[in-house]
Amino acid sequence: MTESRQRTYPLGVRPILADEAARRRSIESRIVEELEKHSFREIILPIIDFVEPYEEVLARDVQRRSYRFTDREGDLVSVRSDFTPMIARAIAPSLRPEDLPMRLFYRGDVIRAEATRLGATRELFQIGAELIGLDSLESDVEILTLAARLLATAGVRPVVTFSDVRIAERLIESATSDDEERRAVRSALSDRRPSDLRITAAAGSATADLLHRTATGTATLDDFATYPPTAEVGERLRAIERALRSCEEAEFLATPDDIDEAGGYYSGLRFRLFTPQSRVLVAQGGRYDGLYRRFGTDTPATGFTLTVDHLDAERSDPRSSRERQP
Amino acid sequence: MSVLRVAIPKGRLQEPALRALASAGLEPPTAADLQTRRLVFSRPDVEWIFVKDCDVPVYVEHGAADLGVAGLDQILEHESTAYQPITFPFGHCRLMVIAAPGAGSIDSAAKVASKYPRVSRNYLDARGLRTEVVTLGGSVELAAVLHLTSHVIDLVETGETARVHHLELQETIAEIAPRLIIGRNVYRTESSRIRTLIARLEESAAREAASR
Repeated sequence: MTESRQRTYPLGVRPILADEAARRRSIESRIVEELEKHSFREIILPIIDFVEPYEEVLARDVQRRSYRFTDREGDLVSVRSDFTPMIARAIAPSLRPEDLPMRLFYRGDVIRAEATRLGATRELFQIGAELIGLDSLESDVEILTLAARLLATAGVRPVVTFSDVRIAERLIESATSDDEERRAVRSALSDRRPSDLRITAAAGSATADLLHRTATGTATLDDFATYPPTAEVGERLRAIERALRSCEEAEFLATPDDIDEAGGYYSGLRFRLFTPQSRVLVAQGGRYDGLYRRFGTDTPATGFTLTVDHLDAERSDPRSSRERQP
Repeated sequence: MSVLRVAIPKGRLQEPALRALASAGLEPPTAADLQTRRLVFSRPDVEWIFVKDCDVPVYVEHGAADLGVAGLDQILEHESTAYQPITFPFGHCRLMVIAAPGAGSIDSAAKVASKYPRVSRNYLDARGLRTEVVTLGGSVELAAVLHLTSHVIDLVETGETARVHHLELQETIAEIAPRLIIGRNVYRTESSRIRTLIARLEESAAREAASR
């Protein structure tokens, strides 16, 4: 063995020594206690699983970031990189109507190759919650406030941004019926590149104007709530915004023009929680009503995942690189 | 509300970039500041950092700067995931394939020199060409002049350098202009402030276009 191999670990992983381990376990136990207080029950998932059941479900970038290998039986398997579809696969086949709504939580490591981030840890300890069987606005608010409350339990008052993936879908559908053009419009919107937006005259001036303002970031929730194709979803976001006003554990920001790349399993609400100073993404989640159907039971679901590594780093050193004086 | 850290590229884009952002309400460093060798200047709501143009997307990508001004050439080379809401009306040029005298069209037997190895590779791969790419740090046209390579891929402003050295401008890969780039997390969490800045930059660009 070379000397450098004796002293180092594979890129993105490291041992967690006693002080840090104690801090993390303390965060973990407080969060788990809070989840149990809200009637969430724990589910334990395997660390590896077949690749095949998830191929239609996971976004391409998540698949690319997962570690895969052929096991001794000759099957292509993947190390756990995303809990949510694994829970759906575990629960959906045996789910009965009388079991719903079901509140579950999970904890454990995921491993992802984050190739583009400097010094990014590839092994992450996550805790997450799933609310299965409800599609109401109240269930969206419940899961959002729970996520904020868990961070508050860990001593962080997060900034929570929330949007709805259907806004992008409906806006893009109203712009063009051509699949290739839809992909190009989504790409320009998700990167906010207005100069690359190619909108045909058929889209109409109101749609073209809203697309442009979405790309430049000057469209507001009112714009989406009054534009007919997105009005229903915009109104739902408004209602969520109103319901969240009484929650003081976080600063909530509606960001209806936050548009993801295509793919993935989200079907409605989409939210992200950031630390207030360093703006590190510590938790994210949303609604995925079609996910359980793919594994055998058609039931709505919503949930989120919280990354304890990022939370611990924020609490230990909240002055991120951008906050430090050079 | 935290201070926004803004990355400005040193060199030809520095002055117009500062002017554009100042017109949108950000208080710029003074002329005296800029004559010092300091690279960081603090104002009440903004902290300016001055970096090489190729490093602006790196600082923004990794959160060391909240936003910056970067040429599309550097955005493409770094495959930046930052938002790019504004294209500025200055510093326009083209990223082009330039051939040595008599080199002909680019093919798999050609050699290409460039400061943009990733963009070059993507361009060649898209055409099914297994052409070798030689990465250089500057004065890239010289590689074709001295026949180190048969072609170069580089920025062309007026085409004067190519003309002087009898090089042939063959194909435009991309129209290049500087863009405002903003880190995704900053955009999401500081949305009100960032949106105001974008709206002011748009107004300012529209005023400038109208006055021309």
